[in-house]
Amino acid sequence: MNLDEYRTVFVAGSLVLMLIAATPTVSLIMVVSSGGGERFSELWLLGPNHMAEDYPFNVGVNETYRVFAGVGNHMGSSSYYLVYAKFRNQTQPVPDVMASEPSSLPSLCEFRFFVADGETWESLLTFAFQNVSLQGDSVLVGNVSINDATFSVNSYSMWDSENQGFYYQLFFELWLYDITSRSFQYHNRFVGIWLNMTSF
Amino acid sequence: MAKSASKLLVLLIILAFSASIFTTGILASNSEDTAATSIERAENALVSAYQAVLEAERVGMDVAALLTRLNEAGESLIKAQVAFTLRDFDEAIRSADLCYEVGEDVKSQAEELLLVAYSSSVMGNWLTVTGSLASVIVIVFGSFWGWHVFKRRYIRRVLKKKPEVAKDESR
Repeated sequence: MNLDEYRTVFVAGSLVLMLIAATPTVSLIMVVSSGGGERFSELWLLGPNHMAEDYPFNVGVNETYRVFAGVGNHMGSSSYYLVYAKFRNQTQPVPDVMASEPSSLPSLCEFRFFVADGETWESLLTFAFQNVSLQGDSVLVGNVSINDATFSVNSYSMWDSENQGFYYQLFFELWLYDITSRSFQYHNRFVGIWLNMTSF
Repeated sequence: MAKSASKLLVLLIILAFSASIFTTGILASNSEDTAATSIERAENALVSAYQAVLEAERVGMDVAALLTRLNEAGESLIKAQVAFTLRDFDEAIRSADLCYEVGEDVKSQAEELLLVAYSSSVMGNWLTVTGSLASVIVIVFGSFWGWHVFKRRYIRRVLKKKPEVAKDESR
């Protein structure tokens, strides 16, 4: 090897050593500035057997039904969630996914909880209907109970001749606490189950 | 005389009843205001505690236990709100105060964690950056020095070599 070739080897070796020495600082900078990947939350509803099947559908008065609601946090940090339970008939509004707007219906009840990043929250929800009556070609649901707390809804549902039933939807909206605005913001996620009122 | 005395007695009784109704109304209104204030204070404490926990988590501290306690505080707050809706103001105040106490406790624990994290992480980061920088400087100067030493020896070795005269075998 001549002197120029030796110099190339020296320069390359020095650069490699410098890179190795700078690695701790570079990794520190990368950790501080890294975004942490995609951030999202999950919201799910499972049936009474804790599976995505056998959801309550044909429902009646004074019967108790069970579902499991769950939330998964992948936001990169601990999060403060709020889940609103809402009840509607076929004509009342659902959340607008495109506009990220929640349903304008009032909530029956709410669940607030903190979830660590990568962790989940799950709760058993029992619900029942009271004061249900048939009035002409529509059904009136007076009260809905969720986890033994009773809420007045007084919601009418017209007979759906196409799907042969009186349909209602019990749905859950996910809201996330925003530190900047110091308030809960709709997180653009909702799940629900359709219910056909079959006995009054 | 007896007639006027009985009238006075009736008047006194009416006054006593109306006063009790008036006082009850004021007390209920006071309880409602107190409960509303307690709930608002509890909500603020919960949010402040959450912010402190987030800060502690951001600097790498384990906040799992604090989140569990925040959830306890959150349950108390929900109880307070439900009790307020049912106009059970005593229960609302009790639950809101419990939420406030837990929230404040969590906040102070999170701030302690934050202090520990800051002092250890600042020292750790300083050591890392300084050590790294010092190593790079040593390598740069070492490389220059090493290269000069090597070059000098290389040239000396080359100069020591005697030129060889090759025989001309073509003759």
